Amino acid sequence: MSEDGLDPVIHAPARLRLMVTLAALPDGDNLSFTRLQDLIGLTPGNLITHLRKLEDAGYVRTEKTGSGVNALTTVALTHGGRAALERYTAVLRQLLDAAGPAQRR
Amino acid sequence: MSEGTGTTDGADASEAGMGAQDAAVIMSEARERARHELTVNRPAIFVSWALVYLLGYGVVWLSVRGQHPFHAPAGWALALLALLAVVALGVTAQLTDRATTGIGGVSAQRRRIYWLSLAVGLLGVYIMQPALRHVGAGHGVISVFTASSPLLVAGVVLVAGTAAWLNWYAFGLGVWLIAVAACSGFAGPAGVWAVDALAVGVPFLAMAAAVLVRGRP
Repeated sequence: MSEDGLDPVIHAPARLRLMVTLAALPDGDNLSFTRLQDLIGLTPGNLITHLRKLEDAGYVRTEKTGSGVNALTTVALTHGGRAALERYTAVLRQLLDAAGPAQRR
Repeated sequence: MSEGTGTTDGADASEAGMGAQDAAVIMSEARERARHELTVNRPAIFVSWALVYLLGYGVVWLSVRGQHPFHAPAGWALALLALLAVVALGVTAQLTDRATTGIGGVSAQRRRIYWLSLAVGLLGVYIMQPALRHVGAGHGVISVFTASSPLLVAGVVLVAGTAAWLNWYAFGLGVWLIAVAACSGFAGPAGVWAVDALAVGVPFLAMAAAVLVRGRP
C-alpha cells in the first residue's frame, strides 16, 4: 500500500493536527477559534485556510455567533470528519505495519 | 469564519513529502498536547479537597474532642475550615477554567448544570441548619448535620451526574460519600468530624496518587 491511500484532505501536517485536536473533544463539543489557534500554533490566516479545506470536505463545521467584540467562532468535528479520521488512522496503521518493525516507533 | 486576514502563504508549504512515519509522529504529538491542555488537572483538585477534610475537619475535631457535654466547634476551627474550602473551590475553578476555556457544546452545559446542582444543594443544607436550631435541635444534631450534609449533597450530585458522564469512578466516589455521610453520625457529634476527615480525605489523596501513577488524565 502506498501513501496515496491516505485521505489527501487530512494528510497535511496542519490539518492532521487540527483533526486530531478536534477529535480529542467528546462528540457534541466544539472549540473556539482562538483556543484552537493557541493549541495548533498557526496564524489566523493559515488556520482559516486549513479549516476551509476541511469544511469543504464536510469534516469540520464552523459556526459564528454574536458580532463585533462579542463575535465568537467555534469549530467542531462532524460525524463524517470523525469517521474520516478513523479511516485515515486505519490506513496509516496498515502502512506502518507493512513498512516493518524497523520503521515503527 | 472571519477572524484575521492572515496570508495563506505557507498554508500548504509543509504538505509535500510527509510520510507515514511523520504522520504518526504528528498524530501522537497532537493527541498528547490536546490531552494535556484540554484535561482538568484532577490530582491538584483532589489534593486541595483532601486538605479541606484532613486538615479542616481534623482541626474542628481537635476543637470538640473531649467536650462533656458537647456544645460546639471553636469559631477559629470553623473559620479555618471555611478558608480551606474557599481555597479548594478557587483551585477547582481555576484549573477547570484553564482546561475548558474555549470548549463549548454539550460538555459545557453538563458542567454548568453540575455546579449549579451542587450550589443549590449546599445552599439548601446551609439554610436548613438555622431551621434545625429554630425548631430546637440540640448541639449534637447540628454538629452531625453540619459535618455530613455537604457530603450527602456532593454524593447525590456525583451519582446523578454519572448519567451524563457515564463515569463509573465518579459513581463510586458518589456512593462512598453518601455512605460516609449516612454512617459517620454514629460516631457522635465530636467523632463525626474525625470519621469524615479520614473517610473522605484519605480516598481523595489516594485518587490523586492513582491518577498520577496512571498518568494524566
